[in-house]
Amino acid sequence: MQAGTDNILKELMRQALAGDKRAYAAALSGTARMLRPYLCKRLSNRNEIEDLLQEILISIHKARHTYDGQRPYTPWAFAIARYRLHDHLRAHYADHLRFAGELSEADNISATDVTESALSYESIKEEVQKLPEKQARILHLIHGDGYTAKEVASKIGMKESAVKVAAHRAYKILKKKLAE
Amino acid sequence: MTDNTENLIATLANTMEPVTRAAPPLVLFLKWFCCALIYLALLTFIWPPRPDIALKLHSPLYLAEVVALIMVMISSGLSATALSFPDLHQKRWLVFAPVIPILLFVTVLAIEWLADNPPAPAPVHSFECLQCIILLTILPAAGMLYMLRKQASIHYYLAGGIALIAASSVGCLTLRIAENTDCIYHLITWHYLPMIGFGIIGIWLGRKFLKW
Repeated sequence: MQAGTDNILKELMRQALAGDKRAYAAALSGTARMLRPYLCKRLSNRNEIEDLLQEILISIHKARHTYDGQRPYTPWAFAIARYRLHDHLRAHYADHLRFAGELSEADNISATDVTESALSYESIKEEVQKLPEKQARILHLIHGDGYTAKEVASKIGMKESAVKVAAHRAYKILKKKLAE
Repeated sequence: MTDNTENLIATLANTMEPVTRAAPPLVLFLKWFCCALIYLALLTFIWPPRPDIALKLHSPLYLAEVVALIMVMISSGLSATALSFPDLHQKRWLVFAPVIPILLFVTVLAIEWLADNPPAPAPVHSFECLQCIILLTILPAAGMLYMLRKQASIHYYLAGGIALIAASSVGCLTLRIAENTDCIYHLITWHYLPMIGFGIIGIWLGRKFLKW
């Protein structure tokens, strides 16, 4: 069956390389059908799978000149799919690590610098307003209105950890600006 | 299939332009190799072969070293071009082609080291050789990286590293033919060990220029 699929896709791709747009569309659809189960086994989020599949199709489109229509098609397509999957997973885990790092930093900072700041909120209010909207709102609620991170989280519908991370990012920006 | 993916496929198919198919690795390599040979030939006008070259070509160890170096250049060039295809052009063995020539080359150097008794006189210069090799390597390296960049390597680190080894062997070969020295310590230190450095620089260049 796999050899059959490969032969069909190979033939379609050969026609596509000769300029047949319909064959190309059919080849890409067949490739998407072939790759979806592969991605489903490795990722759980449906949107993530669809995004990655689209990225792989674009990569196949960009690299189509490296396929000659003579050698088997599936190893070529799977090589590109694996490459994009690894890229995606690398970026995904790097994001998680960065978030975990910021979260632990935020835990340290919110316990000390934030609550016992030497500066009054009023004195830096103008700078706070120049921050991105979400960060400015969080700082205003914490320092202007006196809410805790937990209360802010429930008020604006975010996780407490996300509020802390957003506040931490805002403190970093403010620290840099005030040091200038 | 979701509407988004279907739309994307339709867009890609409608905007598809005919493309020139990439030549197979052997053809790509031969293009680069021919250019490298012309480059080598031109360099002999600037750096003519050592005066005793006819005599040296009768020395089995010198001949073995030069042949092994040429084999490293050919095999690593072929390997780098295969690595520029996502599926290695389905010739995985080509990627490992430099292993045996490199082992052979190291063995020849080891034999030369043992046979260097009494030691050949060391030349008065040292790092000047490395400078020359760097200068001689730049053009073949640029040509190879430019050629690989046109493909779609998914092993860009390795492709860059091996491409630079192939290019640096052109420089090493030129100097080995031109320079009138047989001091094996000098050759290993200032000619051949830097090839490892070129490989490392190639890995970095691969990441910089071959990632897509």
